[in-house]
Amino acid sequence: MSEPVADAVREGETATRTIPAGRPLVVLAGGLFWGWLLLRWLNDWLGGLFVPRGEPFVSPEAVEALGAAVPALRGLFDSTAFAVTYLPALSAGVWLTIVLTATSIALGFVLAVPLSVARVYGRWTSYLSLAYTELLRGTPLLAQLFVIYYGLNFVQYVPPLLDGVFANNAVWAAIVGFTLNSAAYQAEYIRSALLSVESGQLTAGRAIGLTKLQAIRYVVLPQGLRFAIPGWTNELIYLIKYSSLAAFITVPELFQRTNAIASDNFRYTAMFSLAALLYLALVISASRLMNAVEDRVAIPGLGARGR
Amino acid sequence: MSDPLLRVERVSKSYGDEQVLREISFEMDRGDVTVLIGPSGSGKSTMLRCVNRLTEVDSGEIYLDGERVTGPDVDVNELRRQVGMVFQDFNLFAHLTARGNVMLGPRQVLGLSKEEARRRADEQLALVGLADQADSYPAELSGGQKQRVGIARALAMEPKLMLFDEPTSALDPELIGEVLEVMRDLVERGMTMLVVTHEMSFARSVASEIMFLDGGRIVERGPPEQLFERPEHDRTATFLRRITQLHS
Amino acid sequence: MTGVELPPIALQQASDWAFVWENSGYLFAGTALTIALTVASVLLGFFVGFPAGVVEVYGGRASRGLVETVGVVLRGTPIVVILIFMYFVFPTPDLTIGVLGVTASLSGAFLAGVLGLGLRSAAYQSQIFRGALQSVDEGQMEAARSIGMDKLASIRHVVVPQALRRSVPGFQNEVTIVLKDTSVVFAIGLAELLTRSYDLFVVRTTAVLEILLFASAIYFVLTFTTNRALDLVSARYAIPGGESA
Ligand SMILES: Nc1ncnc2c1ncn2[C@@H]1O[C@H](COP(=O)(O)OP(=O)(O)O)[C@@H](O)[C@H]1O
Ligand SMILES: [Mg+2]
Repeated sequence: MSEPVADAVREGETATRTIPAGRPLVVLAGGLFWGWLLLRWLNDWLGGLFVPRGEPFVSPEAVEALGAAVPALRGLFDSTAFAVTYLPALSAGVWLTIVLTATSIALGFVLAVPLSVARVYGRWTSYLSLAYTELLRGTPLLAQLFVIYYGLNFVQYVPPLLDGVFANNAVWAAIVGFTLNSAAYQAEYIRSALLSVESGQLTAGRAIGLTKLQAIRYVVLPQGLRFAIPGWTNELIYLIKYSSLAAFITVPELFQRTNAIASDNFRYTAMFSLAALLYLALVISASRLMNAVEDRVAIPGLGARGR
Repeated sequence: MSDPLLRVERVSKSYGDEQVLREISFEMDRGDVTVLIGPSGSGKSTMLRCVNRLTEVDSGEIYLDGERVTGPDVDVNELRRQVGMVFQDFNLFAHLTARGNVMLGPRQVLGLSKEEARRRADEQLALVGLADQADSYPAELSGGQKQRVGIARALAMEPKLMLFDEPTSALDPELIGEVLEVMRDLVERGMTMLVVTHEMSFARSVASEIMFLDGGRIVERGPPEQLFERPEHDRTATFLRRITQLHS
Repeated sequence: MTGVELPPIALQQASDWAFVWENSGYLFAGTALTIALTVASVLLGFFVGFPAGVVEVYGGRASRGLVETVGVVLRGTPIVVILIFMYFVFPTPDLTIGVLGVTASLSGAFLAGVLGLGLRSAAYQSQIFRGALQSVDEGQMEAARSIGMDKLASIRHVVVPQALRRSVPGFQNEVTIVLKDTSVVFAIGLAELLTRSYDLFVVRTTAVLEILLFASAIYFVLTFTTNRALDLVSARYAIPGGESA
């Protein structure tokens, strides 16, 4: 089956790069966001380091009072007070979102490398790898989560060692689902990156006496994986957003918490705007981080970003 | 008929700090073939592009047939209709056949009917010797054939003046001849042509005037015999020597 | 969407695969809704995303800035959040449209689904078209301008036809993403394929895996046929000899 390379990708995530790099306002906002998030987590994990667990750092009433003092900006202060009230609860969801994403992309990578190598260099394993990626990329992620959580009742298989790491073992089901799914997409990115490494490189490796596997490991992969970084960035951003689907198998990540609070206070618009902002902050941070990584590992003179 | 067909008056152009054209002036009468030569980066392409306003001059004026074409109130599309251009790298419309390439202007700009445009396209393709390639797409043509389609495409607008920007520079040596032949035919049919080329024997045989451009200035100009036999400037002599060596 | 009468869930005791079979009509009706959602969303995405892509390439500063900002927000937000937003923030009434005696009722959830999936897709499609437009060599535009075509005609007759061809792989990818993401309208309770599967397996808890495998197979067939169909479109409109000019 010959497919256009672009078929493999989750197109266009890099678009968040369009925000110019050094815009001071964005940097400031980023600093504030991550500073707040870290303080928040520290505070809540250490049992109320600065303020009682789950309590806002600044009292919403104080913010509202400020609004009363400056009537022209009243609306702005009211929204801020609203955000201040609910952000502590959401910050715990942000943590779980990050854990889900980071764990799954890392484990997915571990699966994706052999999958892609099998696809490019294997004989019958190449069909196995093809079947795996086609099946996982051809069905919805949410259906896959359902299969794992409801269909296989995965929670009962969580080994005792991992049991209790998370308050809810459904998190493990989500991690497994995201890992298996992400492995398929990452394998496609790595595959096209491997194909873009000149074939002479493998030959040269064999010529100095490396086995095929060694040549792949020490010559082709180090080059190919660098080419895979843009695709990998897409995948990371994709996972940040799609980790929200874990909510449907009861995982209390950011979306689930937002939804729970909203169905309580009925302020859907405000709550989901808040959640959207948090997701945006995560996505933009991730894409910045990956751009930096890409610059960092670029081989001088190779590739679009090489110098 | 006192006006020259093209009059360029003290045209200057800069990109940032780099002054690409410095007070260039020259004239062309109907049927003239003026050849621009000069080292790479001397401003030849920029000069051509100022004439059909793909590039805007900073100062100076250009007149076509007595009408000023520089200035904000000029209809550039009307101007370009009257001035054909042939590019170094062809720029054929990749998604259209040879015929489609030649038809597009007559259809969209001149508003000809499909049949009329088609007839005109086939005429022009026949004139450049490509009647049998009308249905081929650009990627199916050789470089020389592409460039001949490019010429036909420009001619189909029935221009008063043709601009050629190194029309054979991107071609394999064995394909250059067929394009020069088409250009010679055109000279014989009395077309007014402003040509950037380094094909010196061609220039020598068809040019009414050769201008040597260097550093954005016309260093030297004159009929071919004068420039080739008795160049006044060392720079001209050196350039001509190098160029003829390169091409022999 | 449907004015179709839903077959009631069949509850007789039978083997779990027989259960799936008995309810296949119910699931296929959900599949029809999945397809309708996909088609409507991809179309909305195209008719908004294509102009947006053109604006991003050829637009002025202000319009470009606006399109880019909206795009970043839509691309940076999970589809489930966007769908919930559409459902609760712009509560769309149920619509009944009658054309030539055929009436179709569009539920508010369906409209919210199409708006959410469609606008998000527009944000991605704009990037596909932007990239494709930018990939067309500048010389093409210059050649068009040099025979006297104005900017708009040059874009329309020279740049766009080439860009559209180059968009096919990205577009293909986008269609399958929309198709798979229709499953997320589960969040707003729209009875498409996955929602119906869920509704089935909560009443027949022994058949969860069978139902989900059946639904997944349908999704797979849909994505696979869509991909192959668009491959054919791509081959049909390919420029003979390639794209060099
Ligand atoms: N669009 C442009 N922007 C900036 N510099 C340009 C542009 N076009 C041409 N130049 C510069 O102007 C100079 C003359 O270019 P050109 O007219 O193309 O020279 P020639 O055709 O004689 O080789 C060159 O140094 C080139 O780098
Ligand atoms: Mg030039």
